[in-house]
Amino acid sequence: MPLELVHPDWGLIVPQLIIVGTIIAILTADLILPRDKQGAVSWIAMVGLVASLASLLTIDWTAGDTTFNEMFRADSFSLFVNMVVLAAGVLAVMISSSYVQSLEERGTMPMPEYLVLVMFSILGAMIVGASGDLLILFIGIEMGSLATYVLTGFARRRMTSLEGALKYFLLGSFSSAILVFGMAWIYGTTGTTSIPEISQQVGTIMNGEQFPEPALLLALLLVAIGLAFKIAAVPFHMWTPDAYQGAPTPVSAYMSVVPKVAGFAALVRVLAEGLGPLSDTWLLLIAILAIITMFYGNIVAISQRDVKRMLAYSSIGHTGYILVGLAAYNHDVPIEMSIGSVLFYLFAYTFMNIGAFAVVTWLQHRGQGVDLDSFNGLGVRSPLTALAMTVFMFSLMGVPPLIGFYAKYYVILAAIEAEMIWLAVAVVLASAVSAFFYLRVVVAMYFNDPEGEWRPQATPLLGLGLLIMAVGTVALGFFSGPVLDLAMNWVDAFEV
Amino acid sequence: MNELMPEQFMFLSAALFIIGMVGVLTRRNVLVIFMCVELMLTAVNIAFVGFAWEFSQMTGQIFALFVIAIAAAEAVIGLGIIMALTRQRDTVDINEVRELRQ
Repeated sequence: MPLELVHPDWGLIVPQLIIVGTIIAILTADLILPRDKQGAVSWIAMVGLVASLASLLTIDWTAGDTTFNEMFRADSFSLFVNMVVLAAGVLAVMISSSYVQSLEERGTMPMPEYLVLVMFSILGAMIVGASGDLLILFIGIEMGSLATYVLTGFARRRMTSLEGALKYFLLGSFSSAILVFGMAWIYGTTGTTSIPEISQQVGTIMNGEQFPEPALLLALLLVAIGLAFKIAAVPFHMWTPDAYQGAPTPVSAYMSVVPKVAGFAALVRVLAEGLGPLSDTWLLLIAILAIITMFYGNIVAISQRDVKRMLAYSSIGHTGYILVGLAAYNHDVPIEMSIGSVLFYLFAYTFMNIGAFAVVTWLQHRGQGVDLDSFNGLGVRSPLTALAMTVFMFSLMGVPPLIGFYAKYYVILAAIEAEMIWLAVAVVLASAVSAFFYLRVVVAMYFNDPEGEWRPQATPLLGLGLLIMAVGTVALGFFSGPVLDLAMNWVDAFEV
Repeated sequence: MNELMPEQFMFLSAALFIIGMVGVLTRRNVLVIFMCVELMLTAVNIAFVGFAWEFSQMTGQIFALFVIAIAAAEAVIGLGIIMALTRQRDTVDINEVRELRQ
Protein backbone atom coordinates (compact mmCIF):
# COMPACT_ATOMS: atom_id res chain seq x y z
CA MET A 1 0.00 0.00 0.00
CA PRO A 2 1.61 3.28 -1.04
CA LEU A 3 1.77 5.96 1.61
CA GLU A 4 -0.47 8.92 1.07
CA LEU A 5 0.38 12.20 2.71
CA VAL A 6 -2.76 14.06 3.62
CA HIS A 7 -3.16 17.27 5.51
CA PRO A 8 -4.23 16.52 9.07
CA ASP A 9 -7.29 18.30 10.38
CA TRP A 10 -5.59 20.54 12.93
CA GLY A 11 -8.95 21.90 14.09
CA LEU A 12 -9.70 18.61 15.84
CA ILE A 13 -6.63 18.67 18.07
CA VAL A 14 -6.90 22.29 19.25
CA PRO A 15 -7.40 21.34 22.95
CA GLN A 16 -4.22 19.25 22.90
CA LEU A 17 -2.29 21.90 20.97
CA ILE A 18 -3.23 24.54 23.55
CA ILE A 19 -1.72 22.32 26.27
CA VAL A 20 1.48 21.92 24.23
CA GLY A 21 1.58 25.70 23.77
CA THR A 22 1.14 26.20 27.52
CA ILE A 23 4.03 23.84 28.25
CA ILE A 24 6.28 25.88 25.95
CA ALA A 25 5.05 29.11 27.56
CA ILE A 26 5.82 27.79 31.06
CA LEU A 27 9.32 26.70 30.03
CA THR A 28 9.97 30.11 28.46
CA ALA A 29 8.67 31.92 31.54
CA ASP A 30 11.01 29.77 33.65
CA LEU A 31 13.95 31.24 31.73
CA ILE A 32 12.78 34.85 31.81
CA LEU A 33 11.23 35.29 35.24
CA PRO A 34 13.47 35.94 38.28
CA ARG A 35 13.54 33.22 40.88
CA ASP A 36 11.25 34.90 43.39
CA LYS A 37 8.53 35.64 40.82
CA GLN A 38 8.15 32.10 39.57
CA GLY A 39 4.83 31.68 41.34
CA ALA A 40 3.31 33.51 38.38
CA VAL A 41 3.72 30.45 36.15
CA SER A 42 0.85 28.72 37.93
CA TRP A 43 -1.40 31.42 36.41
CA ILE A 44 -0.05 30.60 32.94
CA ALA A 45 -0.91 26.96 33.56
CA MET A 46 -4.41 27.82 34.75
CA VAL A 47 -5.08 30.09 31.78
CA GLY A 48 -3.85 27.36 29.43
CA LEU A 49 -6.02 24.70 31.04
CA VAL A 50 -9.12 26.89 31.04
CA ALA A 51 -8.48 27.91 27.42
CA SER A 52 -8.18 24.26 26.48
CA LEU A 53 -11.41 23.52 28.35
CA ALA A 54 -13.13 26.37 26.47
CA SER A 55 -11.75 25.18 23.12
CA LEU A 56 -13.69 21.92 23.58
CA LEU A 57 -16.71 23.99 22.52
CA THR A 58 -15.23 24.73 19.09
CA ILE A 59 -15.34 21.11 17.94
CA ASP A 60 -18.40 19.22 16.74
CA TRP A 61 -18.01 16.05 18.81
CA THR A 62 -21.15 14.35 17.56
CA ALA A 63 -19.69 14.01 14.06
CA GLY A 64 -17.02 11.60 15.30
CA ASP A 65 -14.38 13.00 12.93
CA THR A 66 -10.97 11.40 12.74
CA THR A 67 -7.62 12.72 11.63
CA PHE A 68 -4.00 11.51 11.23
CA ASN A 69 -5.14 8.43 9.30
CA GLU A 70 -7.84 7.57 11.84
CA MET A 71 -5.26 7.42 14.62
CA PHE A 72 -6.81 10.38 16.38
CA ARG A 73 -10.53 10.62 17.00
CA ALA A 74 -12.71 13.48 18.16
CA ASP A 75 -15.83 11.66 19.36
CA SER A 76 -18.16 12.04 22.35
CA PHE A 77 -16.05 9.66 24.43
CA SER A 78 -12.91 11.72 23.97
CA LEU A 79 -14.88 14.90 24.75
CA PHE A 80 -15.88 13.56 28.15
CA VAL A 81 -12.38 12.28 28.95
CA ASN A 82 -10.90 15.64 27.97
CA MET A 83 -13.40 17.43 30.16
CA VAL A 84 -12.69 15.32 33.25
CA VAL A 85 -8.92 15.46 32.80
CA LEU A 86 -8.81 19.23 32.24
CA ALA A 87 -11.09 19.91 35.21
CA ALA A 88 -8.85 17.71 37.36
CA GLY A 89 -5.84 19.65 36.01
CA VAL A 90 -7.29 23.04 36.98
CA LEU A 91 -8.12 21.80 40.48
CA ALA A 92 -4.70 20.15 40.89
CA VAL A 93 -2.88 23.37 39.93
CA MET A 94 -5.06 25.35 42.35
CA ILE A 95 -4.30 23.15 45.33
CA SER A 96 -0.62 22.62 44.57
CA SER A 97 0.84 26.05 43.88
CA SER A 98 1.22 27.15 47.51
CA TYR A 99 2.34 23.67 48.60
CA VAL A 100 5.09 23.46 46.01
CA GLN A 101 6.37 26.92 46.87
CA SER A 102 6.34 26.87 50.65
CA LEU A 103 6.25 23.34 52.07
CA GLU A 104 8.74 20.43 51.95
CA GLU A 105 11.95 22.40 52.55
CA ARG A 106 11.29 25.68 50.81
CA GLY A 107 12.86 26.00 47.40
CA THR A 108 13.61 22.36 46.65
CA MET A 109 10.61 22.00 44.36
CA PRO A 110 10.80 24.35 41.36
CA MET A 111 7.31 25.45 40.35
CA PRO A 112 7.78 25.62 36.54
CA GLU A 113 9.16 22.08 36.33
CA TYR A 114 6.35 20.80 38.50
CA LEU A 115 3.72 22.39 36.26
CA VAL A 116 5.36 21.18 33.05
CA LEU A 117 5.22 17.61 34.35
CA VAL A 118 1.58 18.01 35.38
CA MET A 119 0.73 19.38 31.93
CA PHE A 120 2.54 16.54 30.14
CA SER A 121 0.63 14.03 32.20
CA ILE A 122 -2.66 15.78 31.34
CA LEU A 123 -1.72 15.78 27.67
CA GLY A 124 -1.02 12.05 27.85
CA ALA A 125 -4.44 11.32 29.35
CA MET A 126 -6.14 13.48 26.70
CA ILE A 127 -4.33 11.55 23.97
CA VAL A 128 -5.45 8.22 25.44
CA GLY A 129 -9.06 9.39 25.37
CA ALA A 130 -8.80 10.40 21.73
CA SER A 131 -6.82 7.40 20.51
CA GLY A 132 -8.02 5.35 17.56
CA ASP A 133 -4.91 3.20 17.36
CA LEU A 134 -2.96 1.05 19.83
CA LEU A 135 0.21 3.00 19.05
CA ILE A 136 -1.30 6.35 20.05
CA LEU A 137 -2.93 4.76 23.07
CA PHE A 138 0.40 3.38 24.28
CA ILE A 139 2.21 6.67 23.71
CA GLY A 140 -0.49 8.54 25.62
CA ILE A 141 -0.35 6.16 28.57
CA GLU A 142 3.41 6.32 28.75
CA MET A 143 3.49 10.11 28.44
CA GLY A 144 1.13 10.32 31.42
CA SER A 145 2.86 7.65 33.51
CA LEU A 146 6.42 8.86 33.01
CA ALA A 147 5.49 12.38 34.11
CA THR A 148 3.67 11.00 37.15
CA TYR A 149 6.68 8.89 38.25
CA VAL A 150 8.76 12.07 38.44
CA LEU A 151 6.01 13.99 40.23
CA THR A 152 5.81 11.26 42.89
CA GLY A 153 9.49 11.70 43.66
CA PHE A 154 9.35 15.47 43.37
CA ALA A 155 10.23 16.08 47.04
CA ARG A 156 13.68 14.77 46.22
CA ARG A 157 15.21 15.40 49.66
CA ARG A 158 12.59 13.28 51.40
CA MET A 159 13.31 9.55 51.44
CA THR A 160 9.63 8.50 51.54
CA SER A 161 8.86 10.47 48.38
CA LEU A 162 11.71 8.77 46.53
CA GLU A 163 10.65 5.38 47.84
CA GLY A 164 7.12 5.92 46.53
CA ALA A 165 8.50 7.05 43.18
CA LEU A 166 10.80 4.02 42.92
CA LYS A 167 8.04 1.52 43.64
CA TYR A 168 5.62 3.30 41.32
CA PHE A 169 8.24 3.41 38.60
CA LEU A 170 9.32 -0.23 38.83
CA LEU A 171 5.80 -1.64 38.86
CA GLY A 172 4.59 0.95 36.34
CA SER A 173 7.25 0.12 33.78
CA PHE A 174 6.74 -3.60 34.43
CA SER A 175 3.03 -3.21 33.70
CA SER A 176 3.75 -1.11 30.60
CA ALA A 177 5.89 -3.94 29.26
CA ILE A 178 3.06 -6.44 29.88
CA LEU A 179 0.56 -4.10 28.25
CA VAL A 180 2.62 -3.55 25.13
CA PHE A 181 3.36 -7.27 24.83
CA GLY A 182 -0.38 -7.79 24.82
CA MET A 183 -0.66 -5.18 22.07
CA ALA A 184 1.96 -7.08 20.07
CA TRP A 185 -0.17 -10.22 20.31
CA ILE A 186 -3.31 -8.32 19.31
CA TYR A 187 -1.38 -7.14 16.28
CA GLY A 188 -0.15 -10.67 15.66
CA THR A 189 -3.64 -12.19 15.67
CA THR A 190 -5.51 -9.43 13.82
CA GLY A 191 -2.80 -7.95 11.58
CA THR A 192 -3.72 -4.37 12.46
CA THR A 193 -3.25 -1.86 15.25
CA SER A 194 -6.26 0.31 14.43
CA ILE A 195 -8.90 -0.16 17.14
CA PRO A 196 -12.02 -0.22 14.90
CA GLU A 197 -10.30 -2.64 12.49
CA ILE A 198 -9.27 -4.87 15.41
CA SER A 199 -12.94 -5.04 16.38
CA GLN A 200 -13.90 -6.17 12.85
CA GLN A 201 -11.07 -8.69 12.63
CA VAL A 202 -11.82 -10.18 16.04
CA GLY A 203 -15.47 -10.50 15.02
CA THR A 204 -14.41 -12.43 11.91
CA ILE A 205 -11.97 -14.65 13.79
CA MET A 206 -14.56 -15.46 16.46
CA ASN A 207 -17.24 -16.13 13.88
CA GLY A 208 -19.87 -17.03 16.44
CA GLU A 209 -17.64 -19.41 18.37
CA GLN A 210 -17.83 -19.51 22.15
CA PHE A 211 -14.14 -19.51 23.06
CA PRO A 212 -11.42 -17.43 21.42
CA GLU A 213 -8.26 -19.00 20.10
CA PRO A 214 -5.39 -19.18 22.63
CA ALA A 215 -3.32 -16.38 21.04
CA LEU A 216 -6.23 -13.96 21.28
CA LEU A 217 -6.92 -15.02 24.86
CA LEU A 218 -3.27 -14.43 25.75
CA ALA A 219 -3.41 -10.96 24.18
CA LEU A 220 -6.58 -10.15 26.10
CA LEU A 221 -5.12 -11.28 29.43
CA LEU A 222 -1.85 -9.39 28.95
CA VAL A 223 -3.61 -6.14 28.04
CA ALA A 224 -6.09 -6.50 30.90
CA ILE A 225 -3.31 -7.14 33.44
CA GLY A 226 -1.22 -4.26 32.12
CA LEU A 227 -4.11 -1.82 32.42
CA ALA A 228 -5.24 -3.24 35.78
CA PHE A 229 -1.87 -2.09 37.17
CA LYS A 230 -2.51 1.42 35.85
CA ILE A 231 -5.93 1.73 37.46
CA ALA A 232 -4.75 0.01 40.69
CA ALA A 233 -7.13 -2.96 40.67
CA VAL A 234 -6.44 -5.72 43.23
CA PRO A 235 -4.23 -7.86 42.96
CA PHE A 236 -2.20 -5.38 40.89
CA HIS A 237 -2.39 -2.52 43.40
CA MET A 238 0.86 -3.03 45.38
CA TRP A 239 2.36 0.29 44.35
CA THR A 240 -0.68 2.40 45.20
CA PRO A 241 -0.50 2.88 49.00
CA ASP A 242 3.24 3.56 49.01
CA ALA A 243 3.13 5.94 46.06
CA TYR A 244 0.17 7.90 47.43
CA GLN A 245 1.62 8.12 50.92
CA GLY A 246 5.10 9.06 49.78
CA ALA A 247 4.21 11.62 47.14
CA PRO A 248 3.72 15.31 47.99
CA THR A 249 0.02 15.60 48.96
CA PRO A 250 -1.19 17.61 45.91
CA VAL A 251 0.54 15.04 43.71
CA SER A 252 -1.32 12.25 45.51
CA ALA A 253 -4.53 14.15 44.77
CA TYR A 254 -3.58 14.52 41.14
CA MET A 255 -2.40 10.96 40.57
CA SER A 256 -5.44 9.46 42.24
CA VAL A 257 -7.47 10.92 39.38
CA VAL A 258 -5.76 11.65 36.06
CA PRO A 259 -3.70 8.46 35.54
CA LYS A 260 -6.76 6.50 36.67
CA VAL A 261 -8.96 8.28 34.12
CA ALA A 262 -6.34 7.52 31.45
CA GLY A 263 -6.27 3.87 32.52
CA PHE A 264 -10.04 3.54 32.36
CA ALA A 265 -10.19 5.35 29.01
CA ALA A 266 -7.63 2.86 27.68
CA LEU A 267 -9.57 -0.08 29.14
CA VAL A 268 -12.75 1.10 27.45
CA ARG A 269 -11.01 1.78 24.14
CA VAL A 270 -9.21 -1.57 24.05
CA LEU A 271 -11.61 -3.97 25.79
CA ALA A 272 -15.05 -2.54 25.05
CA GLU A 273 -14.31 -1.23 21.58
CA GLY A 274 -11.36 -3.19 20.13
CA LEU A 275 -11.98 -6.54 21.79
CA GLY A 276 -15.74 -5.98 22.10
CA PRO A 277 -16.61 -9.21 20.25
CA LEU A 278 -14.77 -11.06 23.04
CA SER A 279 -16.93 -9.47 25.73
CA ASP A 280 -18.30 -12.82 26.86
CA THR A 281 -14.78 -13.79 27.87
CA TRP A 282 -13.66 -10.64 29.65
CA LEU A 283 -16.90 -9.55 31.32
CA LEU A 284 -16.62 -12.19 34.04
CA LEU A 285 -12.93 -11.41 34.50
CA ILE A 286 -13.69 -7.71 35.02
CA ALA A 287 -16.61 -8.50 37.33
CA ILE A 288 -14.43 -10.70 39.58
CA LEU A 289 -11.69 -8.08 39.55
CA ALA A 290 -14.29 -5.47 40.55
CA ILE A 291 -15.50 -7.46 43.55
CA ILE A 292 -12.03 -8.30 44.88
CA THR A 293 -10.92 -4.70 44.38
CA MET A 294 -13.82 -3.00 46.13
CA PHE A 295 -13.77 -5.27 49.18
CA TYR A 296 -10.00 -5.37 49.58
CA GLY A 297 -9.63 -1.60 49.25
CA ASN A 298 -12.40 -0.74 51.67
CA ILE A 299 -11.54 -3.36 54.28
CA VAL A 300 -7.82 -2.58 54.42
CA ALA A 301 -8.59 1.16 54.58
CA ILE A 302 -10.25 0.62 57.97
CA SER A 303 -6.96 -0.21 59.68
CA GLN A 304 -5.04 2.83 58.36
CA ARG A 305 -4.10 5.74 60.65
CA ASP A 306 -2.33 7.78 57.98
CA VAL A 307 -5.03 9.68 56.10
CA LYS A 308 -3.14 9.70 52.79
CA ARG A 309 -2.71 5.93 53.00
CA MET A 310 -6.35 5.55 53.96
CA LEU A 311 -7.41 7.59 50.94
CA ALA A 312 -5.12 5.44 48.78
CA TYR A 313 -6.97 2.29 49.85
CA SER A 314 -10.28 4.11 49.46
CA SER A 315 -9.27 4.99 45.88
CA ILE A 316 -8.60 1.29 45.28
CA GLY A 317 -12.14 0.65 46.51
CA HIS A 318 -13.49 3.24 44.07
CA THR A 319 -11.62 1.53 41.22
CA GLY A 320 -13.71 -1.51 42.10
CA TYR A 321 -16.97 0.42 41.83
CA ILE A 322 -15.98 1.90 38.46
CA LEU A 323 -15.05 -1.56 37.15
CA VAL A 324 -18.63 -2.64 37.85
CA GLY A 325 -19.78 -0.19 35.17
CA LEU A 326 -17.36 -1.77 32.70
CA ALA A 327 -18.45 -5.28 33.68
CA ALA A 328 -22.02 -4.33 32.77
CA TYR A 329 -20.93 -3.72 29.17
CA ASN A 330 -22.21 -6.34 26.78
CA HIS A 331 -21.30 -6.30 23.14
CA ASP A 332 -24.26 -8.34 21.95
CA VAL A 333 -26.92 -6.60 24.02
CA PRO A 334 -25.54 -3.04 24.35
CA ILE A 335 -26.34 -1.44 27.68
CA GLU A 336 -26.15 2.33 27.40
CA MET A 337 -25.72 2.82 31.11
CA SER A 338 -22.51 0.75 31.35
CA ILE A 339 -19.77 2.98 29.91
CA GLY A 340 -21.94 6.01 30.70
CA SER A 341 -21.78 5.17 34.40
CA VAL A 342 -18.01 4.63 34.18
CA LEU A 343 -17.57 8.11 32.73
CA PHE A 344 -19.95 9.71 35.22
CA TYR A 345 -18.17 8.02 38.13
CA LEU A 346 -14.80 9.31 36.95
CA PHE A 347 -16.26 12.82 36.78
CA ALA A 348 -17.74 12.61 40.28
CA TYR A 349 -14.58 11.02 41.67
CA THR A 350 -12.49 13.94 40.37
CA PHE A 351 -14.31 16.44 42.56
CA MET A 352 -14.64 14.47 45.77
CA ASN A 353 -11.25 12.77 45.83
CA ILE A 354 -9.13 15.79 44.91
CA GLY A 355 -11.20 17.64 47.51
CA ALA A 356 -10.34 15.16 50.26
CA PHE A 357 -6.62 15.38 49.48
CA ALA A 358 -6.92 19.19 49.29
CA VAL A 359 -8.12 19.29 52.91
CA VAL A 360 -5.04 17.27 53.93
CA THR A 361 -2.89 19.82 52.06
CA TRP A 362 -4.74 22.62 53.84
CA LEU A 363 -3.92 21.07 57.22
CA GLN A 364 -0.27 20.59 56.30
CA HIS A 365 -0.06 24.31 55.59
CA ARG A 366 -1.15 24.89 59.18
CA GLY A 367 1.59 22.79 60.72
CA GLN A 368 -0.41 19.58 61.03
CA GLY A 369 0.65 16.09 60.03
CA VAL A 370 -1.17 13.63 57.78
CA ASP A 371 -2.42 11.19 60.41
CA LEU A 372 -5.96 10.95 61.69
CA ASP A 373 -5.14 12.91 64.86
CA SER A 374 -4.45 16.05 62.83
CA PHE A 375 -8.14 16.19 62.07
CA ASN A 376 -9.00 16.37 65.80
CA GLY A 377 -11.10 19.43 66.56
CA LEU A 378 -11.07 20.83 63.05
CA GLY A 379 -14.76 21.62 63.51
CA VAL A 380 -13.77 24.18 66.18
CA ARG A 381 -10.63 25.49 64.52
CA SER A 382 -12.06 26.00 61.07
CA PRO A 383 -15.77 25.19 60.71
CA LEU A 384 -15.81 25.83 56.94
CA THR A 385 -12.95 23.45 56.13
CA ALA A 386 -14.47 20.83 58.42
CA LEU A 387 -17.76 21.25 56.58
CA ALA A 388 -16.00 20.81 53.21
CA MET A 389 -14.23 17.66 54.45
CA THR A 390 -17.56 16.33 55.74
CA VAL A 391 -19.10 16.89 52.31
CA PHE A 392 -16.22 15.02 50.62
CA MET A 393 -16.34 12.13 53.09
CA PHE A 394 -20.12 11.76 52.76
CA SER A 395 -19.86 11.95 48.99
CA LEU A 396 -17.13 9.29 48.86
CA MET A 397 -19.32 7.18 51.13
CA GLY A 398 -22.27 7.66 48.79
CA VAL A 399 -24.77 9.68 50.83
CA PRO A 400 -27.60 11.30 48.86
CA PRO A 401 -27.99 13.90 47.41
CA LEU A 402 -24.22 14.36 46.90
CA ILE A 403 -22.55 13.52 43.59
CA GLY A 404 -20.92 10.37 44.98
CA PHE A 405 -24.36 8.90 45.62
CA TYR A 406 -25.45 9.40 42.02
CA ALA A 407 -22.18 7.94 40.75
CA LYS A 408 -22.81 4.74 42.72
CA TYR A 409 -26.49 4.78 41.84
CA TYR A 410 -25.78 4.78 38.09
CA VAL A 411 -23.17 2.04 38.44
CA ILE A 412 -25.69 -0.09 40.34
CA LEU A 413 -28.35 0.63 37.71
CA ALA A 414 -25.96 -0.53 34.99
CA ALA A 415 -25.24 -3.76 36.89
CA ILE A 416 -28.97 -4.43 37.37
CA GLU A 417 -29.69 -3.73 33.71
CA ALA A 418 -26.98 -6.24 32.78
CA GLU A 419 -28.68 -8.76 35.07
CA MET A 420 -25.73 -8.91 37.44
CA ILE A 421 -27.65 -8.42 40.66
CA TRP A 422 -24.86 -9.93 42.77
CA LEU A 423 -22.53 -7.20 41.53
CA ALA A 424 -25.02 -4.49 42.53
CA VAL A 425 -25.38 -6.06 45.99
CA ALA A 426 -21.58 -6.16 46.34
CA VAL A 427 -21.37 -2.41 45.63
CA VAL A 428 -23.88 -1.68 48.39
CA LEU A 429 -22.12 -3.96 50.90
CA ALA A 430 -18.69 -2.50 50.12
CA SER A 431 -20.10 1.02 50.55
CA ALA A 432 -21.44 0.05 53.96
CA VAL A 433 -17.95 -1.17 54.95
CA SER A 434 -16.44 2.08 53.72
CA ALA A 435 -18.66 4.11 56.08
CA PHE A 436 -16.38 3.00 58.97
CA PHE A 437 -13.30 4.88 57.92
CA TYR A 438 -14.97 7.86 56.26
CA LEU A 439 -17.10 8.52 59.33
CA ARG A 440 -14.06 8.18 61.60
CA VAL A 441 -12.60 11.32 60.01
CA VAL A 442 -15.87 13.19 60.55
CA VAL A 443 -16.03 12.04 64.19
CA ALA A 444 -12.44 13.18 64.78
CA MET A 445 -13.25 16.61 63.37
CA TYR A 446 -16.34 17.28 65.47
CA PHE A 447 -16.08 15.20 68.63
CA ASN A 448 -12.38 15.26 69.53
CA ASP A 449 -10.52 18.13 71.18
CA PRO A 450 -7.97 20.05 69.13
CA GLU A 451 -4.37 19.08 69.72
CA GLY A 452 -0.98 20.07 68.38
CA GLU A 453 0.35 23.43 67.31
CA TRP A 454 -1.87 25.50 64.99
CA ARG A 455 -0.25 28.01 62.65
CA PRO A 456 -2.82 30.20 60.88
CA GLN A 457 -1.78 30.96 57.34
CA ALA A 458 -3.41 32.52 54.27
CA THR A 459 -3.78 30.15 51.31
CA PRO A 460 -6.34 31.92 49.05
CA LEU A 461 -5.94 29.75 45.94
CA LEU A 462 -6.18 26.51 47.90
CA GLY A 463 -9.25 27.86 49.70
CA LEU A 464 -10.88 28.80 46.41
CA GLY A 465 -10.15 25.32 45.04
CA LEU A 466 -11.72 23.75 48.14
CA LEU A 467 -14.78 25.95 47.74
CA ILE A 468 -15.20 25.00 44.07
CA MET A 469 -14.89 21.29 44.84
CA ALA A 470 -17.25 21.38 47.83
CA VAL A 471 -19.86 23.36 45.91
CA GLY A 472 -19.35 21.11 42.89
CA THR A 473 -19.84 17.97 44.97
CA VAL A 474 -23.17 19.28 46.25
CA ALA A 475 -24.46 21.13 43.17
CA LEU A 476 -23.53 18.50 40.59
CA GLY A 477 -25.40 16.00 42.71
CA PHE A 478 -28.56 18.02 42.24
CA PHE A 479 -27.85 18.57 38.54
CA SER A 480 -26.44 15.16 37.69
CA GLY A 481 -28.88 14.70 34.79
CA PRO A 482 -27.13 16.87 32.17
CA VAL A 483 -23.72 15.40 33.04
CA LEU A 484 -25.08 11.89 32.70
CA ASP A 485 -26.64 12.79 29.33
CA LEU A 486 -23.23 13.97 28.17
CA ALA A 487 -21.64 10.75 29.43
CA MET A 488 -24.27 8.63 27.68
CA ASN A 489 -23.20 10.03 24.31
CA TRP A 490 -20.41 7.44 24.27
CA VAL A 491 -22.90 5.27 22.39
CA ASP A 492 -22.50 7.46 19.27
CA ALA A 493 -18.74 7.13 19.47
CA PHE A 494 -18.60 3.35 19.43
CA GLU A 495 -21.25 2.45 16.86
CA VAL A 496 -22.40 -0.46 19.00
CA MET B 1 19.67 -21.90 3.44
CA ASN B 2 16.78 -22.67 5.71
CA GLU B 3 13.80 -20.34 5.59
CA LEU B 4 13.01 -18.47 8.83
CA MET B 5 9.66 -19.38 10.32
CA PRO B 6 7.38 -16.93 12.18
CA GLU B 7 7.31 -19.39 15.07
CA GLN B 8 11.01 -18.89 15.63
CA PHE B 9 10.45 -15.19 16.29
CA MET B 10 7.60 -15.99 18.63
CA PHE B 11 9.61 -18.51 20.66
CA LEU B 12 12.53 -16.11 21.00
CA SER B 13 10.27 -13.29 22.07
CA ALA B 14 8.28 -15.41 24.52
CA ALA B 15 11.49 -16.79 26.05
CA LEU B 16 12.97 -13.31 26.52
CA PHE B 17 9.71 -12.01 27.96
CA ILE B 18 9.47 -14.81 30.51
CA ILE B 19 13.13 -14.44 31.51
CA GLY B 20 12.55 -10.73 32.04
CA MET B 21 9.36 -11.28 33.98
CA VAL B 22 10.89 -13.87 36.30
CA GLY B 23 13.82 -11.50 36.81
CA VAL B 24 11.56 -8.63 37.85
CA LEU B 25 9.70 -10.82 40.30
CA THR B 26 12.71 -12.49 41.93
CA ARG B 27 15.58 -9.99 41.90
CA ARG B 28 16.13 -7.48 44.70
CA ASN B 29 18.64 -5.15 43.05
CA VAL B 30 16.81 -2.14 41.61
CA LEU B 31 19.15 -1.88 38.62
CA VAL B 32 18.77 -5.56 37.76
CA ILE B 33 14.97 -5.27 38.00
CA PHE B 34 15.12 -2.33 35.64
CA MET B 35 17.32 -4.28 33.21
CA CYS B 36 14.77 -7.10 33.25
CA VAL B 37 12.03 -4.63 32.31
CA GLU B 38 14.18 -3.55 29.37
CA LEU B 39 14.53 -7.22 28.43
CA MET B 40 10.75 -7.52 28.38
CA LEU B 41 10.51 -4.50 26.09
CA THR B 42 13.07 -6.09 23.77
CA ALA B 43 10.87 -9.19 23.65
CA VAL B 44 7.98 -6.93 22.63
CA ASN B 45 10.05 -5.43 19.83
CA ILE B 46 11.02 -8.85 18.51
CA ALA B 47 7.38 -9.91 18.56
CA PHE B 48 6.31 -6.79 16.67
CA VAL B 49 9.03 -7.09 14.04
CA GLY B 50 8.35 -10.82 13.68
CA PHE B 51 4.65 -10.27 13.12
CA ALA B 52 5.31 -7.41 10.69
CA TRP B 53 7.68 -9.70 8.77
CA GLU B 54 5.02 -12.42 8.69
CA PHE B 55 2.36 -10.03 7.35
CA SER B 56 4.84 -8.12 5.09
CA GLN B 57 3.66 -4.88 6.71
CA MET B 58 5.40 -1.78 8.04
CA THR B 59 3.02 -1.19 10.97
CA GLY B 60 4.73 -3.54 13.41
CA GLN B 61 8.19 -2.25 12.62
CA ILE B 62 7.11 1.33 13.20
CA PHE B 63 5.48 0.30 16.47
CA ALA B 64 8.79 -1.28 17.50
CA LEU B 65 10.60 1.99 16.79
CA PHE B 66 8.18 3.86 19.05
CA VAL B 67 8.62 1.25 21.78
CA ILE B 68 12.40 1.76 21.59
CA ALA B 69 11.95 5.52 21.96
CA ILE B 70 9.63 5.10 24.93
CA ALA B 71 12.02 2.60 26.54
CA ALA B 72 14.76 5.22 26.25
CA ALA B 73 12.59 7.84 27.93
CA GLU B 74 11.73 5.35 30.64
CA ALA B 75 15.42 4.61 31.21
CA VAL B 76 16.17 8.30 31.71
CA ILE B 77 13.45 8.71 34.30
CA GLY B 78 14.16 5.42 36.07
CA LEU B 79 17.88 6.05 36.37
CA GLY B 80 17.12 9.61 37.53
CA ILE B 81 14.96 8.28 40.37
CA ILE B 82 17.62 5.68 41.28
CA MET B 83 20.32 8.39 41.27
CA ALA B 84 18.28 10.59 43.63
CA LEU B 85 17.74 7.56 45.84
CA THR B 86 21.39 6.57 46.07
CA ARG B 87 22.27 10.18 46.97
CA GLN B 88 19.95 9.98 49.97
CA ARG B 89 20.92 6.49 51.00
CA ASP B 90 23.72 4.47 49.49
CA THR B 91 21.78 1.37 48.44
CA VAL B 92 20.22 -0.23 45.38
CA ASP B 93 18.54 -3.06 47.31
CA ILE B 94 14.77 -2.79 47.17
CA ASN B 95 14.44 -4.53 50.56
CA GLU B 96 16.41 -1.78 52.29
CA VAL B 97 14.10 0.90 50.90
CA ARG B 98 11.16 0.58 53.24
CA GLU B 99 10.31 3.60 55.33
CA LEU B 100 6.67 3.76 54.36
CA ARG B 101 3.93 1.62 55.87
CA GLN B 102 5.00 2.64 59.44
